[in-house]
Amino acid sequence: MKGITRKFLRINLSTGKMGEEAIPEQVETDFVGGRGFGIYYLYRELAPETDPLGEQNKMIFVAGPLAGTTAQAVSRWMVCTRSPLTGAFARSVAGADFGAWIKFAGYEFILVEGKADRPVYIHLTRDTCRIESADELWGKDTVFTQEWLTRRHGLNTRVACIGPGGENLVKYAAIVTHRRTASRCGVGAVMGSKNLKAIAINAERNLQLYDPEGFKQLAKQQIQSMMASKAFQYHKEMGTTNNPENTSELGIFPTRNSRYGRLEDYEKITGDEYLKHRIGEFGCYSCAARCGKIHRVTTGPYVGAQSEGPEYETIWAFSGPIENSYLESTIAADQLCDDLGIDTISTGNTIGFAYELYEKGLITKKDTDGLELTYGNHKAMVELVKKIARREGIGDLLAEGTMRVAAKIGRGSEAFAINAKGLELPAYEPRGAKSLGYNYATSNIGGSHGYGYAPQEVFGAAYPRRVDRFAEEENADIVIFNQNNAAAGEVGIACSFSRGWFPQVYDKLLAAATGIDRITERGYLMRVGERIVNLERAFIVREGFGRKQDTLPQRMLSEPLHTRGAPGEGQMMRNLDKFLDRYYELRGWTPAGIPSAEKLNELGLGYAVKDMARYQKVKAA
Amino acid sequence: MTVRIEIPPLLRHHTNGVTTAEVGGSTVGDSLNNFVRQYPGTKKRLFGKNGKLLRYVEIYVNGETTYPEELARPVKDGDEISIVYLISGG
Repeated sequence: MKGITRKFLRINLSTGKMGEEAIPEQVETDFVGGRGFGIYYLYRELAPETDPLGEQNKMIFVAGPLAGTTAQAVSRWMVCTRSPLTGAFARSVAGADFGAWIKFAGYEFILVEGKADRPVYIHLTRDTCRIESADELWGKDTVFTQEWLTRRHGLNTRVACIGPGGENLVKYAAIVTHRRTASRCGVGAVMGSKNLKAIAINAERNLQLYDPEGFKQLAKQQIQSMMASKAFQYHKEMGTTNNPENTSELGIFPTRNSRYGRLEDYEKITGDEYLKHRIGEFGCYSCAARCGKIHRVTTGPYVGAQSEGPEYETIWAFSGPIENSYLESTIAADQLCDDLGIDTISTGNTIGFAYELYEKGLITKKDTDGLELTYGNHKAMVELVKKIARREGIGDLLAEGTMRVAAKIGRGSEAFAINAKGLELPAYEPRGAKSLGYNYATSNIGGSHGYGYAPQEVFGAAYPRRVDRFAEEENADIVIFNQNNAAAGEVGIACSFSRGWFPQVYDKLLAAATGIDRITERGYLMRVGERIVNLERAFIVREGFGRKQDTLPQRMLSEPLHTRGAPGEGQMMRNLDKFLDRYYELRGWTPAGIPSAEKLNELGLGYAVKDMARYQKVKAA
Repeated sequence: MTVRIEIPPLLRHHTNGVTTAEVGGSTVGDSLNNFVRQYPGTKKRLFGKNGKLLRYVEIYVNGETTYPEELARPVKDGDEISIVYLISGG
């Protein structure tokens, strides 16, 4: 049953042409929205082997069906494109309120293609769309850019923009809105390659819902359930800042470029320590959690530094990799990343890699512009952040990410380049949380925790079952469940922190918003999630990925983890091959990691069968 | 009355890797106190100095949250208590 028209806006920067297009009903039913629309349109429109930084690549800025509504924690948005960092599919998620504004402009998503011949920005209202000169903005940071565009177009303007990182094609550049970022996989570099500095949307709240009255009741039920939840209350209080203590006690806080699972003095970077620096908080559109905690440095060498965050991943990125517990430097590095528009996870991880290269004598002070990359040296770390974003000196090399740096340096450095498919691993040690680790290995975007987070291992969640976090192929079903579940959550781009608070109304909210009744059928959304993961897999198979790329850094496969007294001492990822055999079997994929025709047809993805047959032959040869 | 406690990953370091425990008790509070007697190392990860449950620990009985009743919640023979850490990350 349908009653509303959902559409998107296509903008070609090469020709200046733009126009609205309706989303076919079958696509809505099969993919619902959000990440589902992202992969569907990318798969259907992007030719294999398109240069990620070339004119032919496309970017999809997509909101979920619930964005901009009164429902809580569902106004996030994401960018889907082909990643310049990995060459695989890119899905990069951000918060704040830009997602709501995409919907207020009247669209599910904005598809940007082509390349402008000079710096531009897109100015979109409910009635107009213009491509404007960004000459005055090129070279400016994300704070200046957002302020300039808001001054020019009015307070009701919301901006997603790049900073110098994106302009300089840093392979892991971010797109920034307020101080929230779509930062994984280098989506900011794709924007930079198109000479697109920003998208500015000026629109009033204006939404069409299939069942507005029913939706209102569900949204009320949702917020009541949130407010009654202890998990929500604690998340509201601390955001994610308390996780370093948790992961350190579990021995899964990657330290010294992932040689250890615990920072020696992690007590200095706990949530309570960050609380001493807290000066405020920020929340996404229609989210009572306000989990973005704002911190300010009041003494020492970084006095005046201020960031919204760091949240858990960033707390780790600028402490664990270089063994640094001076949290003021983490706040400073976080601020720089947001200002300059680069991903904190890949930046911190790549800097940790540089420190180990230095330790092993594979680079010296001559290569580092005189910086001493000795563990704990946070001043050098902060300098490197600036150099990377500006591609200055050694920053030009590090801006390529760990995979390419290792390829250039050679001499065995690939073994401790901590990435999967080229995407730098985040803040959870695979050897101590193996379902999460094998998610990194099999993820279609590379080393991402969000692609298939394992709450069973990290927090002791019992759903769909309890797991032993050191088990390997025995947990292949859990990896699949977590990946499909994450994809299901991202059709509505629900905040991953909030899903546990209202699982009972998420599907009903989606149905009331879209009119797709079937969403509330048992198992329907998980099926959509499975469909998305399979189509993403088909996308990356076309780009040459398969079993060989479903792997982890050599360090995880052959070096025992040292946990400094926490559980998990000596753990390694011992059974990658057995895991992959089991994972592919359960997925309905071939032993080469390619979705079978049966599986694709079963999921209504018949259009990918021909492609996969071709690549099956290539892999067999 | 005997209830079964499912021990979360974060506490297993203090239980020598044991994943479940059988304890006596007529309420969640009784049961957890008996659990702590068996494994004293778990106390600081469950209770604050004031003896209250930590604000980032949530207790479930048979899959249902006990919040806000928590320690006062009665339990019966055969119930399963789950301890979940509410810390969010990512």
